[in-house]
Amino acid sequence: MRTNDAVSGAMVAALGAAFVVASADLPSLPRQEYGAGTFPTVIGTLLLVFGGLMILRGVRHREAWVKWTASAPLTRFLGALAAVVGTVVAYVMLTPIIGFPLLSLAVLTALFYAFHRRHLPLSLGIAAIATLAIWGLFGQLLHVPLELGILEQVIYS
Amino acid sequence: MTDLLQAASMVFTFEVLGIVVAASLFGLFMGAIPGLTATMATALLVPITFFMEPLPAIAAIVSATAMAIVAGDIPGALLRMPGTPASAVYADEAFLMGKQGKLGLALGLNVTCSMLGGVIGVMILALFAPRIADFALQFTSDEYFWLALLGLSCAILVSGGDPLKGGVSMLLGLGISMVGMDSVSGQVRFTFGSYDLLAGISLLPVLIGLFAITELLRSMSSAEKRQPVVTPEANGMFSGVASTAWRYKGGVARGGILGTMIGALPGAGADIASWISYAVSRKLSRTPEKFGSGHPEGLVSASSANNAALSGAYIPALVFGIPGDTVTAIIIGVLMTKGITPGPDVFAEQGTLVNAIFMVFILANLLLLPLGLLAIKGARRLLAIPTGILYPLILMFCIVGAFSTNNSMFDIWVMLAIGLLGYFLMENDFPLGPLILAVILGPIIESNFMRSILKSNGDLMAFVDRPIAMVLAVCALLTWTLIIANGVFSGRRRRMSVPS
Repeated sequence: MRTNDAVSGAMVAALGAAFVVASADLPSLPRQEYGAGTFPTVIGTLLLVFGGLMILRGVRHREAWVKWTASAPLTRFLGALAAVVGTVVAYVMLTPIIGFPLLSLAVLTALFYAFHRRHLPLSLGIAAIATLAIWGLFGQLLHVPLELGILEQVIYS
Repeated sequence: MTDLLQAASMVFTFEVLGIVVAASLFGLFMGAIPGLTATMATALLVPITFFMEPLPAIAAIVSATAMAIVAGDIPGALLRMPGTPASAVYADEAFLMGKQGKLGLALGLNVTCSMLGGVIGVMILALFAPRIADFALQFTSDEYFWLALLGLSCAILVSGGDPLKGGVSMLLGLGISMVGMDSVSGQVRFTFGSYDLLAGISLLPVLIGLFAITELLRSMSSAEKRQPVVTPEANGMFSGVASTAWRYKGGVARGGILGTMIGALPGAGADIASWISYAVSRKLSRTPEKFGSGHPEGLVSASSANNAALSGAYIPALVFGIPGDTVTAIIIGVLMTKGITPGPDVFAEQGTLVNAIFMVFILANLLLLPLGLLAIKGARRLLAIPTGILYPLILMFCIVGAFSTNNSMFDIWVMLAIGLLGYFLMENDFPLGPLILAVILGPIIESNFMRSILKSNGDLMAFVDRPIAMVLAVCALLTWTLIIANGVFSGRRRRMSVPS
């Protein structure tokens, strides 16, 4: 998605203004003019200036405010975006409940099925191997605390 | 001599050698698949290196990146699709050589010249880095402030494209680095009451988001069952390679030296090195008209340059703690998490470790030859891996990798947010290099500025009191002038190219 420089510039300038405002209350070091707010203020001011320059350039070029320029169609991009965002949201929300192994198996099966477009059993099989590999590498070898979730009750009951 | 023997005893262990081979194979896999870059390979490797000692961690990253750059040449020669941006400049040349029945020669030259370029780069690194480090021992916070600022400014200058957007990208990175507790005053900034943000935004989720999630968003929408593999056999591997490399020995040496020098510039990585080396090679060639028609001269020089640039980037990273490219930015982050702050003191206090790192570099580059050959032999199988399987796997790997930094779900959100930001920035031609360098250099610039200002009791002129600081300040000033001039001229060019 490509935006006119005026649109991106407005976003940059707004962020710069937010930086300047949020830095205004940061105290200086004792007996100094400088402190924790110095650098954020400089960054915010420069963002404001650069954003302003981009707005001027965008207005002068008179291009479309927003247009789709990627090689893949918008619908396919939205599918990919939904897959990435959905996987992250599912991981954060559901891993503490159902655990990493079940979640990874379910999510990877769905993604393989959606993107590889093969039979469900094949997707399930590859997802099971991939889940085992990630669990083995991170959970067992590197001792990352990947939660077992409901499997904990099954294994340790 | 004792130092070297001690360094050798650190390197030649089962653990380090095993990691070098495993990381090389990982880099080979990542580089050979078009769309997966050497930086992405590094970002995915970092969660694993967190659990290693410093030397094996560096060995893993160095081996993976060197191999990824070489493996990136393979799809370029076979499919005209460069595996990594560093191979893009000569992908056409190698592909056309393949069409003339010289595929083995093209790939053999790629691997051999990459190895030679890499070794030249390591030699220059090993020769000059300790001497520059000796000199840098005189540096105070004034010089470090200017040096970091100069590094950041160079990153905008050489990132290519629009300097204004490069500047915005840098400022966004600096903004990200300001979140959390200020290291000098202890003041909490921009945390919005979140406990997770108190220690700042971790580097690893930012890296994974910027270089893996961004790329996934771009690539997943065109994920296919299989790559369109129509690959000729790489017969006669290495026949004629030695004689051709010898014929263009000047180009190999020039590529190696030029690549190392370009790699040492902050922000200029292997891709810029190979473009410039190819252009210089064409300029100096007796037969420039043959370039672009399957001629090995430019390929030889650019192959040598891109691997040499990887070593060159370690000069500012190891000597000053200023990253030369995104990969060294990651390595600095990894070393810092292990309590080692790269800089001239490391050369004085941990000479054995530094020598061991140089040995690992040579080892990784020598391994390019046998493993590169293996990669070429197995290229057809590698390229046949369906991206519809690969991308979801990488996504899950990214999520678990981001989580493993602090065992915190918050880092996964950070990864996603930065990935979405990175996608927007890339689609709108904002370079990502200045952003990541600014995330690393932001705290260095700020803390050195504050230290100097406290020392001088608020006197800004103290920043240019010392001669080295003055020289660095003038260099920074010149760089900004160049950036502004570049911005003005590119703006004029753009206006002239837009039809009225």
